[in-house]
Amino acid sequence: MSTVQQETFDIIAKQAKIELDTIKPESTLKDLGIASLDAIEVIFDIEEHFNINLPNEDTDLENGTVGQLVEAIERQLAQKTSE
Amino acid sequence: MRRIVITGMGAICALGHDAPSVWKAMTEGRSGIGPIHHIQPGQLRNGGIAAEITDYDPASFFDEARRALLDPFSEYALIAANEAIRQSGISFAGEAAARTAVVIGTGAGGENTRDEMYQRLYGEHQGRFHPLGIVRMMTNAPASQVSIVHGITGPAFVVASACASSNHAFAQAAMMIRSGMVDAAVVGGTEACITLGTLRAWEAMRVLAPDTCRPFSAGRRGLVLGEGAGMYVLETLESAQARGANILCELAGTGMSSDAGDIAAPSDIGAAAAMNMALRDAGMSPDEVDYINAHGTGTVANDSTETRAIHRVFGAHARELVVTSTKPMHGHALGAGGALELVAAIGAIRDGIVPPTLNYLGPDPACDLDYVPNVAREINVHAAISNSFAFGGLNAVVAIRRGP
Repeated sequence: MSTVQQETFDIIAKQAKIELDTIKPESTLKDLGIASLDAIEVIFDIEEHFNINLPNEDTDLENGTVGQLVEAIERQLAQKTSE
Repeated sequence: MRRIVITGMGAICALGHDAPSVWKAMTEGRSGIGPIHHIQPGQLRNGGIAAEITDYDPASFFDEARRALLDPFSEYALIAANEAIRQSGISFAGEAAARTAVVIGTGAGGENTRDEMYQRLYGEHQGRFHPLGIVRMMTNAPASQVSIVHGITGPAFVVASACASSNHAFAQAAMMIRSGMVDAAVVGGTEACITLGTLRAWEAMRVLAPDTCRPFSAGRRGLVLGEGAGMYVLETLESAQARGANILCELAGTGMSSDAGDIAAPSDIGAAAAMNMALRDAGMSPDEVDYINAHGTGTVANDSTETRAIHRVFGAHARELVVTSTKPMHGHALGAGGALELVAAIGAIRDGIVPPTLNYLGPDPACDLDYVPNVAREINVHAAISNSFAFGGLNAVVAIRRGP
C-alpha cells in the first residue's frame, strides 16, 4: 500500500470511526457509512493533511471509490511537486 | 378568523431594482447570474459566479446621513419596503403606527460590514473601527430601519432560519394579524451575502455550482448565491376593502416544520409536513394548487427530495400542477429567498404567467414533474404555494390565492 493510500485510509477510518481493515480501494464513502457533511469533512481533513485542494470533479461523493480518491490526491500532490 | 391580504410588494435583486422590473425579467426568463464583480478572480476556487445586484448606487436611494447607518442588507430591505408601502398606500399615522408590525427574515445578517471590519483587523492590522459598525451589522438592523424610517411603533424584529427566513417571517406576521395583536405588517426578507468570507465558506461545503444553477435538471451541480430583498404590506381584508386598496392576493396560510434529523441533508417528510400544514392553514385542498414555486436550489439532494415531498402531498395532482424554481434568475438569496420568490407566485396569479425553470438540460429520473423548462408558460393560476427549506432542517411554506 502506498504511503498516500495508507494516510488517506487512516483519515477515513478516524473520521468514520471504523476499523482500518474494513476500507478497501473499491469501497465508496457511502459504503463505509460516510454521507453528507461527514463526507465533506473527510475531504477537508485530507486537504488539510496533504495541503492540497481537491476540486469537486475529483470528489464524487455519490459513486466515487476510495481508490479513485487516492488517485486524485496523488495527482494533486504530483502537480504540487512540479510547481 | 381575520383574512389577510397583500396590498403592497417591493423587490430588489439581480433582476432589477423594483418589483415590476423583477417580475418582467422573470416572465422573460432572464438570468441575473454572472461573474462576481467585487471579488478578484483567483480568490475563489470554484466558478466565481453569483446573482449580484448591478448598476446599483445607494446614493440614489438614501441621503448621506441614512446611508452612514446602513449595511447593504438594510439598504435592500428599505428599498423594497419603501416600494411596497408606496404601492399599498397604507398610512401609519396615529394609532395605526402601534397596530403595525415589521418582521424581516435574514440568514447571514450584516456580512459586508463584518467582512470589512475583519479585513481591517486581521488583514491590515488596523486597530480603529468605524463607530457605526455595530448598528450596521446587527442582524435586527433592517427591521429597526424600516420601523424608524416609516414611524412604525408596533412589534418589529428579525427572523433567522437560514434559507427559510422569509417564509418564517410571513408566518409570524400572519399570526400576529390573525390574533388581533396588529392590523397590518411590513414583512419580507433581505440578504447581502456576496462577500469573500461567505463565498469561501459555501465553497467549502461543496454545494456551489461551478457553471450555473439548473434546478430539477439532469446535470445539475449545485446552487448559485444571490442577494436582494422582497418586502410586502399585509393587512386585514377588512382594512384593505375599507380604504379601497388594490389587493394583490390573499395570504391564505402558512406552514412550518422541522426535520429534527440531519443538519444539512433535506428530508421529504419534513418538507411535506410544512406544505401540508400550509394547505390546512389556508383551508386549501391540494387539488386547488395550480403552481408551486419550489425551493429548487439546484443541488442534487434538494431537488429530488423536494420532488418526492410534492408527490407525497399532492398525490395524482402532482402531475397536474406546475413546479418552477426561479433561483436560476435571482440566485439563492438565502434569507431573502422566499420573499423574492413570492414575486413569482403573486405574478403568476395576477398575470396568468408562470416563470420558467431556466438552464434545464433534460429530465432526471428523480425529478419527474412539470418544471416549465426554460420558457414561461401562460397558465391560469388561482392558488399557489411557495416553498423554502433551510439547512438545519427548518421548513416554511406560504400559500396564497387570488384576492376576493
